[in-house]
Amino acid sequence: MNISELIHEILLEDKTMIKLPFGDGMFDIKASVVHTWIIMAVVFVLILILTSNMKVHNISRRQAAVESFVLFVRGVVKGILGEKADRYTDYICTVLIFLGIANLSGLFGIEPPTMDLNVTVALSLMSIILVEAAGIVEKGVGGWLKSFAAPIAVVLPMNILELFIRPLSLCMRLFGNVLGATVIMELIKGIFAPVLPVPFSLYFDIFDGMIQAYVFVFLTSLYIGEAVE
Amino acid sequence: MFNNVTIMNIVYTIINLLILYFLFRKFLFGRVDKILNKRMEEVDEATKAAELAANEAKETQRQYEQKILLADEEKEQILADIKKQGYDEYERIVSDAKKKGEQILVEAKHNAEVENAKAKEIYAAELTDMVIDAASKIAAGRHSADDDKELYDKFISEAGAKDE
Amino acid sequence: MNLTALGAAIAVFTGIGAGIGIGFATSKATDAVARQPEADGKIMKLLILGCALAEATAIYGFIIALAILFVK
Repeated sequence: MNISELIHEILLEDKTMIKLPFGDGMFDIKASVVHTWIIMAVVFVLILILTSNMKVHNISRRQAAVESFVLFVRGVVKGILGEKADRYTDYICTVLIFLGIANLSGLFGIEPPTMDLNVTVALSLMSIILVEAAGIVEKGVGGWLKSFAAPIAVVLPMNILELFIRPLSLCMRLFGNVLGATVIMELIKGIFAPVLPVPFSLYFDIFDGMIQAYVFVFLTSLYIGEAVE
Repeated sequence: MFNNVTIMNIVYTIINLLILYFLFRKFLFGRVDKILNKRMEEVDEATKAAELAANEAKETQRQYEQKILLADEEKEQILADIKKQGYDEYERIVSDAKKKGEQILVEAKHNAEVENAKAKEIYAAELTDMVIDAASKIAAGRHSADDDKELYDKFISEAGAKDE
Repeated sequence: MNLTALGAAIAVFTGIGAGIGIGFATSKATDAVARQPEADGKIMKLLILGCALAEATAIYGFIIALAILFVK
């Protein structure tokens, strides 16, 4: 397979999956959104199965696994967020789990939704909105506006720039990593025999995907923790 | 690369995220939290109950110890009482015995004196008899100085023999 | 071959900076863990943060290269 063709396919092809009859293509649904729906459905069914019939005593292994998983994820997120921003834990946990599953979905034959800029832009937009909203809730509008000029007025343009740089960097980091990993994996699959790519897949699909999910959540939590201080 | 980005898809994704957030909150975190809170409550209750039970046990032990202390005192009291009674009895018996002994002694002395007196009386009677005898003998026999002397001697020796 | 390919190749040179940065970060993290093994959790967190930030430059280079090549 030609590299140029491959990249053309990944990057330039129109990814529209469901065409809606109104709005002149504006409301068309892209493949990444449909993939997100698939992931959501699977996660929802999984959650319903896993959390059904939960008991206080004599818990099953399934329940113990779910409980320890939830506690683990929460512990990780709370450790970064800090005490003050405790209330955003659930959203950050959701994003962490969603990103983890989305980045791993390449293993199951679904194109990772995070490879589409739509999804990463949406995620980073949500993150920056959450960060600023946390700042406003904590300090009030006045305090939030003042915090742009802190500690001295000279950094005001920097802080305003940061408002755009942060989500851009979050979005591009996630998108670029997943895209790069996918491109490289496609190349390796095209060049080597079917068995050889397994260790590469372990690195690019699993390790890198997890690390990127963690980094995204880590940075978001860090920004929130900074905003509420 | 950027040709696929449309505002509506970003909006769709945001809606997806929010739906996912509410699903997670309702079905995963909510349920797990409910269970965890229930368990926490139960643990709290169990801890409280255990504390209560421990306190009760302590109280009971304290009472028990007090009782044992009281019982010890009572025991000592009873022992002391018994000892005292025993002493009293002993003293009583001993004093009784002493009294009796003294009485016996007194009686014995008295008896001995009576005996003595009786013996003296008998002796005196015998002596009187002897004197009468000697006197009658003298009266019957002839009177001389030698006879008198011999008679005295005889009397004295007889009396002495009797005396011995 | 036109000059856009050369531009893309130059953009990918950002990877050098990312490599050096991650190398420094990891070397210092190793030092720190060797000195204070009990703080490895915190150090790991900071290392991942530093690596993510350093790696971002390489990713930007990669994306810019792709953009130069394919976005018309």
